[in-house]
Amino acid sequence: MEKQLLRFYVNDQECELFINPKTLLVEALRDHLGFVGTKRGCDTASCGVCTVMVNGMAVKGCSVLAVQVNGMNITTVEGLEKDGKLDPVQAAFLDEGAYQCGFCTSGMIMSARAFLNETPAPKDTMEIRRGIEGNLCRCTGYNSIVRAIDAVAKGKYREGA
Amino acid sequence: MSLKCPVCGKLKKDPVDCARHMFGTGDKPHKAWFEAQGLSYIDLLLSQATEPGNKAYIEVGELIAKAQQG
Amino acid sequence: MTANKYSVLNTRVHNVDGYAKVTGRATYTFDVKLPGMLYGKILRSPHPHARIISIDPTEALKLPGVRAVVTGKDTLGVKQGIWRRYPELCDEQILTIEKVRYIGEPVAAVAAITEEIAEQALDLIDVQYEVLPFVDDPMEAIKKEAPMIHEGVERNVNVTRHIEWGDVEEAFEEAEYVREDWFKLGGQAHMCMETRATVASYTSDKKLTVYTSTQSPYYHQALLAGVLGLRESDIRVIAHYVGGGFGGKFELDASQFCASILSMKLSKPVKIVFTREEDFVATKRRTPMYYYVRTGVKKDGTFCAREARVFSNGGAYTGMGATALYLTGFFHSFPYKWKAYRYDGYRVYTNSLPSTSMRGFGAPQAMFCSEQQIDWIAADLGLDIIEIRRKNAHTSGYEVPGQATIASCGLTQCLDKIEQWIKDRGKLPKNRVIGISAAGFMTGGIFNWFDTPYSFSSAVVTINYDGVVELHVGAQDIGQGSNTTLAMICAEALGVKLENIKVHSGDTDHCPADLGAWGSRQTLMAGNATKMAAEDAKKQLLEFASAKFGYNIVYDVDIKDGWVYNVARPERGMHYVDLVKEALRGKDGQRIVGRGHYTPHRKGMISPAYSYMVQAVEAEIDAETGKISLHNCVTAHDCGQPINTLGLIGQLEGAASMAAGYGYLENMPVEDGKVMNPNLVDYKIIRAPDMPECEIIEIDTYEPEGPYGAKEAGEGLTNPTAAALGNAIFHATGLKMKQAPIMPEMIVNAFKEKKKEGGTP
Repeated sequence: MEKQLLRFYVNDQECELFINPKTLLVEALRDHLGFVGTKRGCDTASCGVCTVMVNGMAVKGCSVLAVQVNGMNITTVEGLEKDGKLDPVQAAFLDEGAYQCGFCTSGMIMSARAFLNETPAPKDTMEIRRGIEGNLCRCTGYNSIVRAIDAVAKGKYREGA
Repeated sequence: MSLKCPVCGKLKKDPVDCARHMFGTGDKPHKAWFEAQGLSYIDLLLSQATEPGNKAYIEVGELIAKAQQG
Repeated sequence: MTANKYSVLNTRVHNVDGYAKVTGRATYTFDVKLPGMLYGKILRSPHPHARIISIDPTEALKLPGVRAVVTGKDTLGVKQGIWRRYPELCDEQILTIEKVRYIGEPVAAVAAITEEIAEQALDLIDVQYEVLPFVDDPMEAIKKEAPMIHEGVERNVNVTRHIEWGDVEEAFEEAEYVREDWFKLGGQAHMCMETRATVASYTSDKKLTVYTSTQSPYYHQALLAGVLGLRESDIRVIAHYVGGGFGGKFELDASQFCASILSMKLSKPVKIVFTREEDFVATKRRTPMYYYVRTGVKKDGTFCAREARVFSNGGAYTGMGATALYLTGFFHSFPYKWKAYRYDGYRVYTNSLPSTSMRGFGAPQAMFCSEQQIDWIAADLGLDIIEIRRKNAHTSGYEVPGQATIASCGLTQCLDKIEQWIKDRGKLPKNRVIGISAAGFMTGGIFNWFDTPYSFSSAVVTINYDGVVELHVGAQDIGQGSNTTLAMICAEALGVKLENIKVHSGDTDHCPADLGAWGSRQTLMAGNATKMAAEDAKKQLLEFASAKFGYNIVYDVDIKDGWVYNVARPERGMHYVDLVKEALRGKDGQRIVGRGHYTPHRKGMISPAYSYMVQAVEAEIDAETGKISLHNCVTAHDCGQPINTLGLIGQLEGAASMAAGYGYLENMPVEDGKVMNPNLVDYKIIRAPDMPECEIIEIDTYEPEGPYGAKEAGEGLTNPTAAALGNAIFHATGLKMKQAPIMPEMIVNAFKEKKKEGGTP
C-alpha cells in the first residue's frame, strides 16, 4: 500500500508523517512520533488505555486510523501539563492516589479530562462513572478515580481555590 | 452396626463411618486394602469429592460389612 | 481510632512514582525501545496434546526482514520451575521440545525487523504434529485410562498435600449437626493492563540485559541464569514500572525466555510483547478447583470437625500450583478454631493452560466454600451468622495445631464492627440484601521453595551530603505502592521527611536481592529490612550527635521530622542536614550507609503474621434474570499498623473489584483445552458504573513481627467478596450457589429448580 503524507497537531505541535495508511492513530503517536504516554492493552477497542482527545473529543487511539485525523488537533497525556503546571485532573489524581500500576492512567486521565470538559458539573458520581466506563482499571477498583474527578468538578483545583 | 476396620482394627460405629475412616487415614496399608478388593482408591476418592450423596462411602461400607460377616 | 503517633506513617502522601504516572512519563517494558532492536513473535501449538515430529523454519527464514527462528532444540532444554528446591516440580521447558501439552504452548519463536513481519513469518514455519488424545478436566485426567501428560506421572497426579490435626472421626462423633457440600471453583485471568512483555539484549561479552514486566527481578535473574547457562550476575533485570502482576508475573514466561534465546543467537535486542489474546490463552491462571467440604458442629454453633478434599486443575505444568494447593487447604480452616481438621489436596495435570498463583492464592476458593457453608449451617440451626463466627473466631495467641501461631488478631473486633454496621444500615431498600464473609490471610511465606541463598529481603540506606537518603531495595513496585510504603518506613525510622527519600528498585544491577511482590510479603519483609537499614544509619548519625552535643550519658538523642534533639529537652538540638554534613567529615568523606535484611525464622509452616477481615456486601439480586448489582462493600480490616494510607484504600478497593469479578463476572470457560473468551469483550472485567462504594473500618492491632506493627493488606482482601456475594444471594433467595463465578444462568436455573421442587428453601 502506498504511503501517505499526513499533517496534524499533537499537543499544539505540528507533526508531519509519511506512513502506511493502515497505521492506527495510537501506532502513529507511539511508534512514529514518540508519544509513549499513551498505551495499548487489547485488540478489541475494549480497554481504553489508548484514549486520547481528537479535537477535544475522547477517542480510543486504536479505533481510528491516523489518516482519519489529518489536519486535526490531538491531545495526549503529555499535552496536559502547561508550563510546568499540572492539569487539575492530574493534580487530583495525585492527591487521591487514583492510580496504582499506572498503565491505564494516561488513558483514564484523558477520558476524565474530556468528560469534565463536556460535563463540568456532573449531577452525581454515577454520571462520572459512566463517563469513564470505557476505561478498564485492574488495580484501583475505580473509586479513587471517581473521587479525583469529583474533586475537580467540585472546584477544588480552580485557580485561587 | 459397629465393626472393626479391616486394616488397623479400630472400632467404628457403622459401615459408612468405617469407610470414612479408611479414606481419611489414606496411608499405604489402608490404600492397599482398597486395591486388594479390586477397587481403585483414587476413583472412589474422586467420586466422593465430586458427587453429592455418599455413594463411595456407602459402597465401601457395604463391602467391609460383608467381609466381616463372611 | 487512636490518634496518629507517627510523623510519616499512616498519612496521606503522594505516591513517590505518582508524578511520573500522571504525566505519562513512566516507561514500562511495553515502551522500551533499544537501538537495533528486533521484534519477536511466538508460534504456538494449536493442539492440546501432541508430539512434535518436526519443525521446519526454512520458508520463514526466507521472508525478507526475518533474522532468526528458534525452537526448543536451540535451547539447553532445561526443565525449569519456580519450585527450584523440588526438581520433580520443575517440569516446564517453555519452548517445549518433545511434545506440547496445552493449546498455546510455545513451539518456536521468530525475530524480525518489524512486528508485522515476525507475525507473517509464524505462518511460514512448518510444524508436523502427531496429535495425541487429550484430557482437560482433572476428574477425567485422574482416571486410569486417561492419557499420561508428563512421563512417569501416574494418574496425572502432580502434587498432593495433606493437613490434619485432632481426631477427625472422634470430633465428628461429638458433632450434633453435620453438613456436606460439593463446590466447583473456576479459574480467573490476572488480566494485567500491561500484558507480558520483555526486551532482552544480549551482547557478545556474554552479558544479558532484560527489561521485563515482573513482580520479582531477582527471581527472573536467577531463573534465566538456570535456563540459559549464564551466570546470575551477568544477567541484569530491569523493571522500573510494571503494569500489574497479581501473581502472574514472577515465574519465567515465554516473553522472557524466547526474547533471551533470540537475543543470544543474534546479539541484538529482541522485544516480545504478548497480545491480549496470548495473555489470556498462554499464561498461567488462578487454579480452578473441585471442593468437597464436610463440617460438623454442635447445635449451639461450636465448630467440631471439618474434612475437605480438593482436586485442582493444574493444567499442563506445575508453576506455583503446588503452593496454591497447600494454601487453599490451610486457609479453608481460617479464621476459625477447629477441634479437628483434615484436608487432602490433589493437583492434577490436564491439557489446558497451567494454573498458578493469583491474588489470594487459593484462599478465595477456600472462603467461597467455607463461608457459605457456615451461613447454611447457621440457617439450618437457626443461629445468628455473626454469633456463630464469633464463637469460633481465631484469637491472639491461638495455635493452629502444627501450622501457625497467631500473634496479632483483630477478628472479633472486625465481627463487632460489621455487626454494628449492619444494625446501623437498618432497613434496606427493596430487593437489597446483605451477605457477609470473614477471612484471614498470610503476610508473606516462610518456605524457601525457591532455594535462594539470600535473605528474603534486603535494604541499603545511604545518606548524601544534602541529607537526601538513597534507599535501595529489591522489593518490586507493581502498583501496590511498595516504593512509597518503604520510603515512608525509611523516613519514619530515620526521623526525616518523606521528601528526603529516594527509592531505587527494579534493577538487579543496583538493588539487593529480594523475593519480590507476591504472597503479600513486601510491607512486612522488605519493610523490616528497610527499618533495620534506616535504624542502622540513624544509629551512626546519633553517635556523631552524641559526641557533638556532649550530653550527660543518661540522656537520649533522637531524630524526628528532620530535627536531631535531646529527648528530655527537645528544643535543644540541630537540623538533621547539618548533622549529616558534619558526620561526613568525621567519616573521611564517606557517606553514612545502613544495611538491613529480613528472613523469617521459626515462624511455623506458613507465614510470620496473619491479617484478618470481615466484609459485608450489599447486593441487589434479580432471581428472574439472575442479574446482580453491588451497592455497598464494607470491610472491617485488621492489617496491624497502616503505613501508606492512600495505598491501603487503593488496595482494598482494588482487591474488592477483582474479588467481585471472581464472584459474578469473570467466567473463563475452557472447552477441549481451549479458552473460549480470550478477549476483553467476552471476558468481563468490572467497570466503573458497576463498582460499589467501598468503606473501610480499620481495626487497631499491633503485629509484633511487622515493621511498626504492620502486616499485609491487599491480598487477603480478595478472599471474602465472592463468598459474601454468595451469602447475599442465599439470604435473598434461599439459593445455595456452589459454583464460582456465579453466572446469571446459574441463578435463573437454580431458581427454576427450586420452584419445581415446591419452593421453600
